[in-house]
Amino acid sequence: MTTESDVRRKTQSDIAFDEGLDEAAIDELVAASAFETLDPEYRQSDRFRATLKAHARIVDVQPADIVVREGDWGNSAFFILSGRIAVEIEPPESGMPQEMLGRRRDRPKSLLQALTQLFTNHRFPEFRGRFSFAGSKSAVQRRGAGNATRIYLQDLDGVLKKYAHAFLEPGQFFGEIAALGRTRRTATLFAVEHGRLIEIRWQGLRDIMRRDEGIQALIDKRFRERSLRAFLEASPMFSHLREGHDDALSELANGVELKVFGEYGRAQSFRKMADEAMAGDFSGEHLIASQGDYPNGIVMIRCGLARVSHKFHHGERTASYLGPGQDFGFNEIMAGHGSNKPVSLQHSLRALGYLMAVVVPTALVEKYILNHPDSPWHHKVQETEATGRSNAVQRVDQDLVEFLVGNRFVNGTATMLIDMDRCTRCDDCVRACAASHDNNPRFLRNGPINNGVMVANACMHCRDPICMIECPTGAISRKLDDGEVAINDESCIGCGTCSNNCPYDAIRMVEIRDSGGLFLRDRSVASRAPITKATKCDLCVEQKGGPACQRACPHDAMIRLDMSDVEQLVQWHNQ
Amino acid sequence: MAQSITTITPFCVRRRRYSAVLLVLLLLFVAANYLLSITLHRTAMVSGWTLFLLVVVLTAYNLRKRITFLPLGRSSTWLQVHIFVGLLSIAVFGMHIGWRIPNGVLEVALAGVFLTVALSGIVGLGISRVFPRRLSERGEEVFYARIPRVLHRIRTAVEQEVLACLREDDSTAVPEFYSKHLRPFFERHHHFWNHLIKSRRSELKLLRRMDAYTRYLNSHEKQAIEAIKDYVKVKSDLDFHFAHQKILKTWLFVHVPLSYSLVVMAIFHIVLVYAFAGAGS
Repeated sequence: MTTESDVRRKTQSDIAFDEGLDEAAIDELVAASAFETLDPEYRQSDRFRATLKAHARIVDVQPADIVVREGDWGNSAFFILSGRIAVEIEPPESGMPQEMLGRRRDRPKSLLQALTQLFTNHRFPEFRGRFSFAGSKSAVQRRGAGNATRIYLQDLDGVLKKYAHAFLEPGQFFGEIAALGRTRRTATLFAVEHGRLIEIRWQGLRDIMRRDEGIQALIDKRFRERSLRAFLEASPMFSHLREGHDDALSELANGVELKVFGEYGRAQSFRKMADEAMAGDFSGEHLIASQGDYPNGIVMIRCGLARVSHKFHHGERTASYLGPGQDFGFNEIMAGHGSNKPVSLQHSLRALGYLMAVVVPTALVEKYILNHPDSPWHHKVQETEATGRSNAVQRVDQDLVEFLVGNRFVNGTATMLIDMDRCTRCDDCVRACAASHDNNPRFLRNGPINNGVMVANACMHCRDPICMIECPTGAISRKLDDGEVAINDESCIGCGTCSNNCPYDAIRMVEIRDSGGLFLRDRSVASRAPITKATKCDLCVEQKGGPACQRACPHDAMIRLDMSDVEQLVQWHNQ
Repeated sequence: MAQSITTITPFCVRRRRYSAVLLVLLLLFVAANYLLSITLHRTAMVSGWTLFLLVVVLTAYNLRKRITFLPLGRSSTWLQVHIFVGLLSIAVFGMHIGWRIPNGVLEVALAGVFLTVALSGIVGLGISRVFPRRLSERGEEVFYARIPRVLHRIRTAVEQEVLACLREDDSTAVPEFYSKHLRPFFERHHHFWNHLIKSRRSELKLLRRMDAYTRYLNSHEKQAIEAIKDYVKVKSDLDFHFAHQKILKTWLFVHVPLSYSLVVMAIFHIVLVYAFAGAGS
């Protein structure tokens, strides 16, 4: 019997990438040359059509449209159906200026400009000038609406003349490495003529790869050639192979295993898993390696976060946490090396949400680290970074470690921690923040507290910033040197995607006002709804001296902490 | 445990370093004062100008707090300097007035303002070290500005419990008790000073009275009283936070305005000294 409360559970097709994708458009996608190598049976199957419906969309581009931008976090790959796409290949120092790409200009204010803030800050909150609405004179040009909004280059011919570039022709793929690895785009691509692209979310790409060995092999080859080799080369573990060991690096890049754990991560699943983890239930966290097992190799984290734990009575106790560039399992391999008795893993490793790891098999570890004459570990037993890190974490209260790891606050590169035993609640930090941002505070002195430590609702400038995924205009971006995540007010269209994606409630949507204090309203909709903008902490990039909040705290109660720096956390916690 | 007692934290190191500098400066000042006195110089002029300079440095901290966007050093460093310069200024002040009560209306007023500023500073320092820990030990963290809203929410919840008793039991036992003993408690903040000395006497007295009253109630009313007892504890915690946060917020309203008054009065004092006491000659 059906009652009024009976509802239908959402399926993949209910959460489509492009809700306007009809059957005719899917037919066009199925027929696209990108999928010519697919197994014909799978290509004609409903399953393939469902994957495309859920995860693909057709993107029409106009000349000068920016398709992907260097440094942005990607979650989708592109296939060119028609039209040419240019890739900027200019070295970073002579590349296109960041303002041209719609990024915020982060030039610190001069002394005079800083001082004039005393008199020029606006009386009304969230005042915005002429760059904030469509039609206003702006350095950034955009067209389209909603999620289809695109920013474009104003002088395409000038850009093509001035900056070195290469062309991608119809039939070529791009963006798949950043999409599958949830890493940043390595180049800026823009359309040079009218064209049509297929954009596929990483989930769709993953589904197709599972069913098509050709595409899987192609992407895997490109990934190993372009990305994995650079990753291994950058690792301190293989630093001795950087000079003159090309063959060794190639062997490593081809011999390692690439593993992906957990879901790509939306705020909702993130919060649910955090709640479960705080209750001691780690079932939502993918087990990568289990305590007591013998290590098959070193797990090197490429992106994402992991919990290192060990059995403690009837539960698991967190010993440490790992982030990109850090590794697991080396101590045990080193301890067992050269003896007949292998050493089992002393800890378990779990993925905190989405995690991509590179597993270097034990044979390659022995060959290129433990037995290699140039290696610092050659015939030596020394404390590795992982051991030192674990020892350091043990000097922080266990409750606090569980709290920081369980809630993934360890993701932050500038997490705002407040020692509530020292904080006099004077709000000097909030006032300083407001004074530095035209009288608008960009954080709340509020947030979860554990053991007298508050993690305030301020942008943590995450190592893995899921807020940046899906921003339609790229208004939210990170500095290319892994610096601050900042929002360009000019290119923000107020869609709220970043705010919804942030699991830490650190991005607030605000209704903007004119100089008279009146809300600016959108005349293009009948309701004339107020125009909103996303706002958050920008680490005072425009101010001299860095974050005003931390400098303003009279009692040394607040710190902006890179959570990968365990020593600094320990030092602050025990001060 | 022994390790935690003997641990020297960076704050201890900083405190010791500043204390050492303070001691050296004080000794230097005392030595200079002595040398000047045996060479028949007017030591009051030296100590007076030194004191004025120290007061200006002390007042500058408030200006630093207003200019947050310039790299003028961390506020915490300024505060440490402010504390130790403040302590030094008390010693210099004592030497300036010869460790006795000054004569003259302006001088007495000036001394009174200085001592009030110094005392409020010492009290402020004390509470800013003690109160935060107390706040984080008891109850939930609450913004000072949101306390009235939280109070209103608690009162509404309690009134709902009381009205439910009236509605469901057709009895006025709980409403009567509420109007007589609980309404004043939930209407506004109570026992301000008790909370500041961490006394829970009033809260316990009210809870005991509620316990004693349960003998006149049916089972549903007893449940309601138990629920209200929880709200009494929450309200008491809120009053605790209110009292402590109010003091933390208001002591500066004594310290800062009086500091500016002190600078103005000191300038007036200097003018008078040069005009009428022959300091310029």
